[in-house]
Amino acid sequence: MFLLLPFNSLIVNLLGISLTVLFTLLLVFIIVPAIFGVSFGIRKLYMKTLLKIFAWATLRMERGAKEKNHQLYKPYTNGIIAKDPTSLEEEIKEIRKSGSNKALDTPEFELSDIFYFCRKGMETIMDDEVTKRFSAEELESWNLLSRTNYNFQYISLRLTVLWGLGVLIRYCFLLPLRIALAFTGVSLLVVGTTMVGYLPNGRFKEFMSKHVHLMCYRICVRALTAIITYHDRENRPRNGGICVANHTSPIDVIILASDGYYAMVGQIHGGLMGVIQKAMVKACPHVWFERSEVKDRHLVAERLTEHVQDKSKLPILIFPEGTCINNTSVMMFKKGSFEIGATVYPVAIKYDPQFGDAFWNSSKYGMVTYLLRMMTSWAIVCSVWYLPPMTREANEDAVHFANRVKSAIARQGGLVDLLWDGGLKREKVKDTFKEEQQKLYSKMIVGNHEDRSRS
Amino acid sequence: MGSSQSTSEEVRELVGKTGFSSDQIEQLHRRFKQLSGNQLTIRKENFNNIPDLELNPIRSKIIRAFFDNRNLRKAPTGLADEINFEDFLTIMSYFRPIETNMDEEQLEHCRKEKLRFLFHMYDSDSDGRITLEEYRNVVEELLSGNPHIEKESARSIADGAMMEAASVCVGQMHPEWSGEVFQLRKAYVCVF
Repeated sequence: MFLLLPFNSLIVNLLGISLTVLFTLLLVFIIVPAIFGVSFGIRKLYMKTLLKIFAWATLRMERGAKEKNHQLYKPYTNGIIAKDPTSLEEEIKEIRKSGSNKALDTPEFELSDIFYFCRKGMETIMDDEVTKRFSAEELESWNLLSRTNYNFQYISLRLTVLWGLGVLIRYCFLLPLRIALAFTGVSLLVVGTTMVGYLPNGRFKEFMSKHVHLMCYRICVRALTAIITYHDRENRPRNGGICVANHTSPIDVIILASDGYYAMVGQIHGGLMGVIQKAMVKACPHVWFERSEVKDRHLVAERLTEHVQDKSKLPILIFPEGTCINNTSVMMFKKGSFEIGATVYPVAIKYDPQFGDAFWNSSKYGMVTYLLRMMTSWAIVCSVWYLPPMTREANEDAVHFANRVKSAIARQGGLVDLLWDGGLKREKVKDTFKEEQQKLYSKMIVGNHEDRSRS
Repeated sequence: MGSSQSTSEEVRELVGKTGFSSDQIEQLHRRFKQLSGNQLTIRKENFNNIPDLELNPIRSKIIRAFFDNRNLRKAPTGLADEINFEDFLTIMSYFRPIETNMDEEQLEHCRKEKLRFLFHMYDSDSDGRITLEEYRNVVEELLSGNPHIEKESARSIADGAMMEAASVCVGQMHPEWSGEVFQLRKAYVCVF
């Protein structure tokens, strides 16, 4: 036991020194740049190195797969249905034309009309546009994360070693680092905003509040190792406007707020989130709702309008889809935020899934599991495009305006523009939509019937 | 589906029985798992998760067709409670396109099978005949979305069309008399 003593103090000394070194490095390379908003370019270098490694890994897998004569890539999923983009009327006319020898417009209803609906029904059973938006995107190459490994199997020892090394780095080095940073960022936010809250209202308070917010968000960005490329920054949202963006995960907030000073909108939560929210609202006027108030749409609209009309107030950040979508498409925007009448600044966010899939599948993972997954991925890489501001035109209704904004965002981000409601993740189709097809068909038939009875 | 021996044998069996390629079978298997929630069988309720299908006026008939014992080739009447992957593929195989390398006999057989599938869709009581009531039922379902059409007009449309069909072939419609049901026969060739 006595022999252990000198070793003990040696170990303690080593531990102490390494921790000090670690913290100094942390401070110099990560936190200080975050405070001032500069970047050493370490993350970009990291990304380039990773890409080279992934390319090498994929090459080895392809070579290995060829040797074993094993199919590596799944066939293109759209191949099974021979889709024909014709309308209901055209198709039914064609079916009838080939059926009877009589003129086109005489029979009102034919046995064969059922064929069209039957075929359409089968097509949707085989593959439909909506359900596949709610599960994570499948990758074409492997990024050394076992969670994205659908097609690739054991190929070689070297690759497995590399993967093992990756696990070690991610869980033992990156994860503690990120957790430390996140902790620093959040506590600085709470402490900083509370302190700023004590200042008297005025220009100085605003200045301090803005910089405290920005600094803490930047630290959080580094905590996730998020590598963000901002485009068209001259279109950034201004005071008195509303910023709308497509929603993939709660991280979207951090990504946007680290480049601009926004007023957040949301429901007050309990626990840690609640503490953060209460602290933030002391420094600057965010719009938080009690749970009971959220249901009252008029109240929500009223408060938002009130905020927006004051031109000195910050732009509001809203995600009109209402739920997280897997970043391959943009779903229906809820019209509430478009009825207010302020200038809308659309923002498109597109994640690169190669380094880590940011989509939050809230039915599969809880918040904590999700954050852990984010912090053990390689990095979060995304592009943000600030689109030019849009306003509602005189004869346009809110729904139409919402769709216009949505198309602009989808086009810029390279996402599919869908009319479907993101709420379908949890609910069923509204009855009004169901009736559309039936109305179209019955108009066709009854129309003919009426013409006939008239003549 | 992995690359283990037993599953690839099953796939080969299915290829032989249904005529799909192994890639298509794999893709359909993924879809089956998604619809069934990773269970081995599908029930009627599982089809409620497809939003696009809700728009279809005859969705109940389409869903019913999946469980119809005549389509599954298990019995002349009745409905199954649940279907497994092989049954799923059997139903899907009715919708395969006609291949160019088929001879006259295969072509005839293929067309008859497709015709029979649609006949079963009309003939809900499985007695081998489409009565006026069953015919009306289909027309009403197809027109059900329009609140402006009353039941009476839907009925008269159905009756009118039935008279037309009856004038072409004699008595009630029976799939064996395919030579005389001109409308049906020529119509589907274009669709499939």
